[in-house]
Amino acid sequence: MSISNVESPRVVSRGEWLEQRKALLAKEKEFTRLGDRLAAEKRNLPWVRVDKNYVFDGPERKETLAQLFGDKSQLLVYHFMFGPEWEQGCPTCSMAADNIDPNVIHLAHRDVNLVVVSRAPLAKINDFKKRMGWRFKWVSSFANDFNHDYGVSFKAEEMKGKFYNFDTSEFPAEEAPGLSVFYKDSAGNVFHTYTSYARGPEFLVGAYNYLDLVPKGRDEAGLPFTMAWVRHHDRYEE
Amino acid sequence: MTTQTPSIEDLSTHPVVTRDEWVEARKALLKKEKELTRQKDRLFAECRALPWVKVEKNYVFDTATGKRTLTDLFGDKSQLIIVHFMLGPEWEQGCIGCSFGADHYDGIVVHLEHHDVAFVVVSRAPLPKIDAFKKRMGWRFQWVSSQGSDFNYDYHVSFTDDAIAQGKVYYNYEVQPIDIDELAGTSMFYRDAAGDIFHTYSAYARGSELVGGAYGYLDHLPKGRNETGPGHNLGDWVRHHDRYGS
Repeated sequence: MSISNVESPRVVSRGEWLEQRKALLAKEKEFTRLGDRLAAEKRNLPWVRVDKNYVFDGPERKETLAQLFGDKSQLLVYHFMFGPEWEQGCPTCSMAADNIDPNVIHLAHRDVNLVVVSRAPLAKINDFKKRMGWRFKWVSSFANDFNHDYGVSFKAEEMKGKFYNFDTSEFPAEEAPGLSVFYKDSAGNVFHTYTSYARGPEFLVGAYNYLDLVPKGRDEAGLPFTMAWVRHHDRYEE
Repeated sequence: MTTQTPSIEDLSTHPVVTRDEWVEARKALLKKEKELTRQKDRLFAECRALPWVKVEKNYVFDTATGKRTLTDLFGDKSQLIIVHFMLGPEWEQGCIGCSFGADHYDGIVVHLEHHDVAFVVVSRAPLPKIDAFKKRMGWRFQWVSSQGSDFNYDYHVSFTDDAIAQGKVYYNYEVQPIDIDELAGTSMFYRDAAGDIFHTYSAYARGSELVGGAYGYLDHLPKGRNETGPGHNLGDWVRHHDRYGS
């Protein structure tokens, strides 16, 4: 994204600024309403009943997908990139997790359980979670097909083609990020209602929401890849 | 932040389909999602392309290290984000909605600070009141007091007794019937190499949703925001994170 305003700023009076700001506000309001309508469409998608019995390694015991709901009817799963052979979790998923962690208590009071799922074995997850100081529930899908079925882990032969984001994108690693939503009815049936990948869950990256509005924007043009500047929150050099 | 959240349909009658049918519907929606993401990119580019206004007034804040100017708040960064947090001089505690927002940004400030952004929260309450509430909430971000300065009034998030008595205040770029002395917003500033400071952007009301992302999760869930009253906004359900009870 361009940082042209920084290179040659246009400086105006408060009155002129207000005129332009108001014109932009009308577009912002229109965009906010478009977002509301699209959010309603996401919720209006049909559901798919989950018939497979996924079992996860949880912090205290093995838990089924149905058990991950706790006493809630809605379950949010953040697919955190942390492969079985990896030394640590992905840095950009970690930045999203910094945003997720304090939200869990609020969501719990909206009939929502938020659980983070990775394919790394539980002991590895627990160590990394402790290092990062997070409190959310994080379970391992190492022993089941969950990550593969929900399109966030790939077999070697799948990494070459377009298998990510509903078969629209390639992903260069064995693990990819995503956000999935499940619903449990009063009879205990579990339904998959929604999943988004790639830039879909970008709202989780709270830092981008701010960077998009400061003069330099994301300022990633000269970097080898987007988010190349991100470190684990305990690994920035002063 | 009132929204037109639809009433929750009876979820027991929600259509259930096969995986293939779902993927078809999901892919159609994905096109619209991508379109909206691109529209967001264009909108934010327009935000950054707004002209700037030079800040001529010398604002002074009470901070943990004494009196500091707006320039000082940049530290060694060229970009400054100010969150206007509703905590008036006479208030017992900070606003619940602003606290909800703070839970979102507390953990990401360290990332912004490593991308040429200083991030400071400002309220009009005296500093000891701010410090006590910040401690209770366990937040780490820098929070300073603008008491005695025109800052909150100039950026239209605090209102004089006169304006409130008349029942008309200027907020979110229009005169509105409002009867509270503090409101919320987010402002952006830039400091150039010569040390001049410019105001580049401010968002208020639901504009802060664009930066805060507070509703991002709920908007994806079957029940949505589910704010059915009495306020039809986050006041219906949000509490301070230490006040939810069991």
